[in-house]
Amino acid sequence: MILKYELKKIFSKKINKIVLITAMLLAVVFSGFAITSVRCSDREGVVHTGVTAARKLAADKNKWKGKLTEEKLAEVVKSRQEYNKKYGEAIPDEEYGKTIQSYNDICAFLISVLTPDSEYDGNVLYQLTEKQTEDIYVVYQDHIRKMVEEYGETKEQQKFLKKQYAKIQIPPVYKSADSWGTMVLYAETYGIILAVICGFLAAGIFAEEFHNHADAVFFAAKYRRTKAAKSKVIAGLLVTTIVYWVGMGLLSLISFGVMGVSGFGTPYQLEQPYSIYPMTYGQYYLLAVVCGYIASLLAASVTMLTAAKMRTASVAVCIPFFLFCVMPFIGRMFASYFVFFRLTPDLLLNVMGCVKDLKLFQVGGIVFRQVPVLMLLYAVISVLLLPFVYKSYCGYGLKKK
Amino acid sequence: MGLKLDNVSKEYAGVQAVDHVTYSMKRGVYGLLGVNGAGKTTLMRMLCTIIRPTHGEITWNGRDIFEAGADYRQILGYLPQNFGYYPDLSIYDYLMYIASIKGIRPAAAEKRADRLLGQVGLSRYKKRKMKTLSGGMVRRAGIAQAMLNNPKILVLDEPTAGLDPNERIRFRNLISELAEDRLVLLSTHIVSDVEFIANEIVLMKDGRFFFTGTAEELVSSMGEAVWNCTVPKKEVNHYLKQYPVANVKTIPGGAELRILCKEKPTEHAVHDDATLEDAFFLYFGEKAGDKIDTEV
Ligand SMILES: Nc1ncnc2c1ncn2[C@@H]1O[C@H](COP(=O)(O)OP(=O)(O)O)[C@@H](O)[C@H]1O
Ligand SMILES: [Mg+2]
Repeated sequence: MILKYELKKIFSKKINKIVLITAMLLAVVFSGFAITSVRCSDREGVVHTGVTAARKLAADKNKWKGKLTEEKLAEVVKSRQEYNKKYGEAIPDEEYGKTIQSYNDICAFLISVLTPDSEYDGNVLYQLTEKQTEDIYVVYQDHIRKMVEEYGETKEQQKFLKKQYAKIQIPPVYKSADSWGTMVLYAETYGIILAVICGFLAAGIFAEEFHNHADAVFFAAKYRRTKAAKSKVIAGLLVTTIVYWVGMGLLSLISFGVMGVSGFGTPYQLEQPYSIYPMTYGQYYLLAVVCGYIASLLAASVTMLTAAKMRTASVAVCIPFFLFCVMPFIGRMFASYFVFFRLTPDLLLNVMGCVKDLKLFQVGGIVFRQVPVLMLLYAVISVLLLPFVYKSYCGYGLKKK
Repeated sequence: MGLKLDNVSKEYAGVQAVDHVTYSMKRGVYGLLGVNGAGKTTLMRMLCTIIRPTHGEITWNGRDIFEAGADYRQILGYLPQNFGYYPDLSIYDYLMYIASIKGIRPAAAEKRADRLLGQVGLSRYKKRKMKTLSGGMVRRAGIAQAMLNNPKILVLDEPTAGLDPNERIRFRNLISELAEDRLVLLSTHIVSDVEFIANEIVLMKDGRFFFTGTAEELVSSMGEAVWNCTVPKKEVNHYLKQYPVANVKTIPGGAELRILCKEKPTEHAVHDDATLEDAFFLYFGEKAGDKIDTEV
């Protein structure tokens, strides 16, 4: 009952309505950006963007779908090397559209397999002999062993890396996954906006009475120290959950609706063969979206606490900006020196970068990867802050001084 | 029994906003009169458990109100001085929200809200957003809010401030209508607000209660007589310096003065009955009544 009206208060507030409508409009705008960012060449070499580009591109690439056997790879390598001999880097547009575009992902995969831990270099592909192509998965396994030694600083870490790498499917089964890869980027950027918005809405819940001078009536009511304060906390969590998933859902629905969902089951290792996160593109997207949700929860908890303590939302609403927009720049400067900067909350909205990071954390004998640590850490912090929000709000004015 | 203040003080950084007040209240309307800064609001906020006293104890039927907590607030209705609301909520939703945090069940709350809206004359506007209401309507919504839980103790902090004279009279009538069977504490700096509806008057100054009693007792406590006289223009200043002058009315060639003193100030002075306003003037050294608002 209290909760119902608490929510009604939030959704009837004019500024909140404006913010929410903006959020939904941005979901549409971001979908537009995502959709038009996909470029597809046709057989004449003309580049198309627009609503059909992504599906056309997927259809073109999916000529190669299925297990990437050594024979298939040999065919790709042979074709690509021939083009290289004939044209060098200056490949005519129509040749690109006709053939190369369709197997470009596979070429990129081969190059990445061959250049672990070093610059991506297209030339390695052109120098590949038939024999080397045949043995490509042996090389892959060799490199994996090397990576285990290089990045596993302790026995436990090596064991952990081996376990993760063992889950990688070799040979991988290919299917075009451009829509998923593209969408991770846009979902994470949009996630920053949603986190800031959730923080804004949540702060309002705890500052509103003070802002409107409605606090006296609130604090003179029977349930001010119990249900009323609790409902505010729950309302904050509910609003965050609703806004985040509706926003993210809308973005996903529009984008995937237009671009198609080809590649849901494609292994992410096609893009990053040595990533220690064995997963499919679908799981990758889900991981990014869930991390975004945790970021929004964190933003809500922190702003609720600040607003409840300061009795105004003005400082509170700036915090998510700092956490998710300023922090990345600071973090990037110091990440290699301090462990802390590899665990800053902005990384929840940079899963794309994190899954490429091979560094591990170890506590005692237990080894963690960055993303699970981030998720656990900030989910726990978000929840642990809530009792403090509750306490600082309902303890208002009762100090004996 | 009833609401008891025992040596209650509230200090703000060296300022004694409320200074060792001891008083007890039962049923009836109590008019708390005092100029701005007297400590009325501070006292009321303590009575509503919004702030704690620095000193002393407030009890309801023998139990400390801060310990009683929700049990005490359940029988409390409060209209704060700066009554704030949620601008984008409709009056009805506003009342339902307040009812919910007061712990009133939805079905009962709906009935109660409808009845109160009728009583304060807002039934027609129940779907209107709060921000579209006039000052008087907002104040009436504020009263309705305070009355939702049918409180035994109703605390109204300057409920008539800023209302136009007509609205003020309507408001007074509403308050006396609602006052039945309750303890109503009403603060104001306008004498006429309490003149007719308060059973008991409390004068507050610098955090202290320096008079408590009925209106008649207050008037007779003055110990001064009231005289009306007409004096020439050049003598007006002389009288203003010499005596407490409750009123000055300029007339052609001079002024009509209302002088408070035991002895007859001039030969032509006519004795008049003292009013509550005269008493207020004598104690606070300020003009009392509706004039304050209209003059400023
Ligand atoms: N929160 C506060 N902090 C500091 N001083 C205050 C506070 N509230 C009230 N005061 C002071 O206490 C005194 C009484 O104020 P108040 O209770 O508002 O009087 P009234 O309601 O009679 O006008 C004033 O001097 C005021 O400045
Ligand atoms: Mg006041």
